[in-house]
Amino acid sequence: MPDGISTTKLDPVDYAVVSQGLIAAAREMGVKLIRSAYSNIVREASDASAALLDRDGNVVAQAELIPMQLGPMADTFRACAELYPVSELQEGDFYINNDPFAGGQHLQDVFIYSPIFVEGELIGFSGTVAHHLDLGGGNPGLTATAADVHAEGFIFPPSRYNYRRDWNGGPLERLVAANIRVPAQTIGDFNAQFAANAIGMQRVQQLAAKYGAGTLKAVMAELLDYSERRVRAALRAVPDGTYHGEDAVDDDGITDEPLVVKAAVTVSGETISVDFAGTCEQVTRNLNCPFSSTVSASLSAIKSVLTSSDIPFNEGVKRPISITAPQGSLLNPNYPAPVRARMEAGYRAFNAVMKAMAQVVPEKVIAGGNDTTIVTSISHLEEGRYRVYLEVFGGGYGASPNVDGCNAVDAPLSNCANTPIEATDMDFSHFRIVGYGLLPDTCGHGKHRGGLGFYRRYEILKDDVNFAIYADRFRLSPYGLFGGTDGERSRCFVERNGEVIEIKSKDALDLRKGDYLNLYTAGGGGYGSVEERDAADIVRDIRHGYLTADTARQVYGAEKVGG
Amino acid sequence: MRVGIEVGGTFTDFVRIGPEGVRVVKVPSVPSSPDVGAFNALVKSGVAITEILDLAHGSTVATNAVLERKGFATALITTRGFRDVLALQRHNRTRIYDLEYQKPDPVVSRADSFEISERVLSDGTVLQPLDEQQVVEALIPALKQGGYEAVGVCLLNSYVNPAHEVALRDLIKAHLPDLHVTLSSEVTREFREYERASTVTVSAYVQPVIDRYIARFEDRLAEEGFSGRFSVMQSNGGRLPAQAIRDSAVTALLSGPAAGVMGAARQAARSGYGNLITLDIGGTSTDVCVVTDGKPELTNEFTIDGLPIRIPVVDINTVGAGGGSIVWVDDGGMLRVGPHSAGADPGPACYGRGGDKPTITDAHVIRQTIRPEAFLGGEMPIHPDASRAVFAPIAARFGMSVEQAADSAIELANANIVRAIQLISTERGKDPRDYVLVPYGGAGPLHAAQVAEDLGVGTIVVPPNAGVLSAYGLIASDFVQFESLTRRAPVDDNAGDLVREVFESMKARAVERFEHLALGGDVKLDFIADMRFVGQAFEVPVTLSEDDVRQVDRELISKMFGQAHEKIYFFGADSDKPIEFVSFRLGITAELGELPLLQEERSYRVPRGEIELFDRRRAWQGTLLSRSDLAEGETLSGPLLLEDPTSTLFVPAGWQAVTDEQQNLVLKRMA
Repeated sequence: MPDGISTTKLDPVDYAVVSQGLIAAAREMGVKLIRSAYSNIVREASDASAALLDRDGNVVAQAELIPMQLGPMADTFRACAELYPVSELQEGDFYINNDPFAGGQHLQDVFIYSPIFVEGELIGFSGTVAHHLDLGGGNPGLTATAADVHAEGFIFPPSRYNYRRDWNGGPLERLVAANIRVPAQTIGDFNAQFAANAIGMQRVQQLAAKYGAGTLKAVMAELLDYSERRVRAALRAVPDGTYHGEDAVDDDGITDEPLVVKAAVTVSGETISVDFAGTCEQVTRNLNCPFSSTVSASLSAIKSVLTSSDIPFNEGVKRPISITAPQGSLLNPNYPAPVRARMEAGYRAFNAVMKAMAQVVPEKVIAGGNDTTIVTSISHLEEGRYRVYLEVFGGGYGASPNVDGCNAVDAPLSNCANTPIEATDMDFSHFRIVGYGLLPDTCGHGKHRGGLGFYRRYEILKDDVNFAIYADRFRLSPYGLFGGTDGERSRCFVERNGEVIEIKSKDALDLRKGDYLNLYTAGGGGYGSVEERDAADIVRDIRHGYLTADTARQVYGAEKVGG
Repeated sequence: MRVGIEVGGTFTDFVRIGPEGVRVVKVPSVPSSPDVGAFNALVKSGVAITEILDLAHGSTVATNAVLERKGFATALITTRGFRDVLALQRHNRTRIYDLEYQKPDPVVSRADSFEISERVLSDGTVLQPLDEQQVVEALIPALKQGGYEAVGVCLLNSYVNPAHEVALRDLIKAHLPDLHVTLSSEVTREFREYERASTVTVSAYVQPVIDRYIARFEDRLAEEGFSGRFSVMQSNGGRLPAQAIRDSAVTALLSGPAAGVMGAARQAARSGYGNLITLDIGGTSTDVCVVTDGKPELTNEFTIDGLPIRIPVVDINTVGAGGGSIVWVDDGGMLRVGPHSAGADPGPACYGRGGDKPTITDAHVIRQTIRPEAFLGGEMPIHPDASRAVFAPIAARFGMSVEQAADSAIELANANIVRAIQLISTERGKDPRDYVLVPYGGAGPLHAAQVAEDLGVGTIVVPPNAGVLSAYGLIASDFVQFESLTRRAPVDDNAGDLVREVFESMKARAVERFEHLALGGDVKLDFIADMRFVGQAFEVPVTLSEDDVRQVDRELISKMFGQAHEKIYFFGADSDKPIEFVSFRLGITAELGELPLLQEERSYRVPRGEIELFDRRRAWQGTLLSRSDLAEGETLSGPLLLEDPTSTLFVPAGWQAVTDEQQNLVLKRMA
């Protein structure tokens, strides 16, 4: 019975108003965390999230900032609550956890939960997660060759501390500060998390003061049921059956072997399950994807494809969805696997689920896109101080049944903004960006074409500049769907004295003054056959230089293109 | 005699203030030619154009040109290697789960974007000189061949050193004198090339539109013997002489809502209220704004149709809740209001034009907080049965009466409005309880009391002729111009001198520009430093008075920044972390000598009588009267329905209404 409102005692207006108030509070926490943070990953990549949880740790309302953080809030919370029961918490206590093998993703994402008391009663939690710039580990920023999770940084096992006693100049803060490279910034970002938790706490207390703690608790419970009902309603519309999808990461950075990810998606009535049986085993490099990240990637695919975008994300959404992956596989690695570059395998999980769903809801999926987190770092040691430029890139989106894929944009699981050229000009003297533009003809073709990839061109201005990259889709192309052709792959190379040095997708290289570093990102795959493409769209693409006339003639035929 | 004419999407509002008192006129807008609607209003008012000393105008012409992409062919010129700046944008998405996400569509397409060899560095030095030969031999012929009316120029780092932009303009002008050339360094001197390129292209795009519009308007005025001052409203809450706006077209975007805020601020100030939250509820949306010490908050983060415009604008938050907002139940069983709207056509069910969805206006008709006979001054027939019919399914769904369902919808709409206000007050560290609420627009005064209660606001100030307050705002506004400048520098022992140096140089330039306008009188300066902790990416504005500028030093500016940061983000005041300046903004204002006096127009009359209405989940007996019937000093208690020719004002139980000597109607919540 989807008509749940009439079965509860909640007044419909109170319910609507208080639930929207909770969602607004979570959003405010998230926005303020991002805007006040120091880490460029948090503030430009929005790699952070914020949520309000009920007393049992169910996420009730979450700020929708980055899809990759859709899963782990409840799991990282529960790992803490199992060791330090909620009933023993005092005001000022907090839970903290970043353990990839206890609900977390990679170490850089640290989860903090603060209890919310109303007149002495604990009624819920405010929680935040932020990607921290540096938590120790082998190298500043990126340790591509880490042998295990310990080489990747500082682990906060699921724990309880007290803000006044342990942070704020206390022993925990001192311990953390002593083990990281840029304590001023990192401690600043932790403080931004505590402040955001305080904001959420205050907003919930204001709602409780106005509507009463009883109503607030009833609304929290109903909001979970509400989201669950809406997801179930969406699932009912999908024909039952088991659908298979498969994709692969190019390689593990050591061998040339693709890392295969397989998904079996089963829709049964109002429920859906995803099983990643058949996925390859965990690897020795940092491409392992902790289970929590696998869950987020799968949830993002299901949410994007099947459900209306205005369903508030909370624990209720997850109730009709189950996700499993074999222990010890790339998508559910065992301790102590290194996991820093989890996004690449996470994307393939997203793609495998998307491909499976293409068989049953072809009108709702998109073709493969760049679908990769391209992380680049150009660093230089200058007068005893590291100058680290870190930027994350996307490429073209896959085409849909209705529209061409978006050009030159971050990939579906993350949402990074670029750094303005004028900002890099101001901040760095070891390189200069001399070109940034769309790459014509990089899309896959079809009734709708994929989005274009783009290029970045850097002039290196000093010797002994270190370049590191992890990326994907250098070997395996973004796939087209239903007759659409594949998109162009990514590529990275250095021009040095007239020579070209190719760089692999997971690689590092020392650069010299006068080098030109070039990064080309992948274009999206096409959707539907090229015969169905509207001639007017081809003419427009040629006019704007998205396609060259030669390519257009080759792909779509001279009679359609003209000339 | 002073006249304000505000052209909105649906109606054109007219206010005349002169020795003979106040005259208010509302006529339908003519969307294809806003000036026709404006002159229709002038004709209907019976005002002799030759008698007008001060004519202030606001219109949607610039906004519509952008929204409908009806500007003239425009080109963009960038530094070589960066012509795709408008297509690349910031690489992120505004809807993260939308698989069919498309970026905002720039007003200049890729085919119309050109590059030129040159490079200036971030310290202003020239790495590569402007390739003049390339300009003359390649760029200028391409511009000529493209048949462009306007061109925007955005070269890298021109915010530090605009020499190449200026030289490029001189070259283009020498060969193509009729082309409008707009430089990014003259529109906004702030870093971040995409935002600056977006600002300059939109500016270039609307330039010919505004230019022709103003020229046509001036010609018509001249024909009719007008000899007064003609000025145009800007989005920063000030106006500019019409001639000056022709060079600054981008500031005319979204000027209508700013005019309303200024009207509210000026009229409330007359009764001694400096801190207010403005509430303008129209047919499809609600605009809210915070005014502190008589000044509207400004923001530099503003977008039109998703395109960033980096100029200071009145910080108005808009939410999709208005009279036409549709009331519905979603697939999870939650009652919702908006953001979809029935618009003006078919409009609410009660219009009888085929609208079959329940709207907020229908809810008012059912609650009897809108009287059918009085809608739009009685000029429009209303069908209450249709309202009841469309609300019946919702009532049945929740097991309530039709009145209760309508009342629930109003409560929800109010809650949406309350959240919109919290976003710009509570979330920015401002406590709404320190403010009074100033409602206007057709439906603002209907909703104000409940919104105030939810915010904890105890006083509501309803200006006279609240339905045409924007038009009053036009003639009540000062003349204002803004300058901006990026100057990244650490807050160190030199901070005081740096602030003074920047202030003096920006002031000198602003004063010189302003003197060309020949407005006379004294000028006032507003100075804002945008600052952050080193390492952050977003700035917090810190407002400095001229006194502050004189005495500022490292300690004072650090303290001011820390307090501003803590108010918003809950931390910062006691921090010893390094701080930096990022940019500065300076506003220059020529204040209006004497404020025109807004009063009730007394032509509207409804006999005082008893009415029944439904509010806050029950039925009430109330009093109906014309607003102008409430004598100065007379206090009445709610429930009251007060009508004037432009809007209906609802005073619920628990509130008292009194008209003050400025003819503001002041509502106080009874303890």
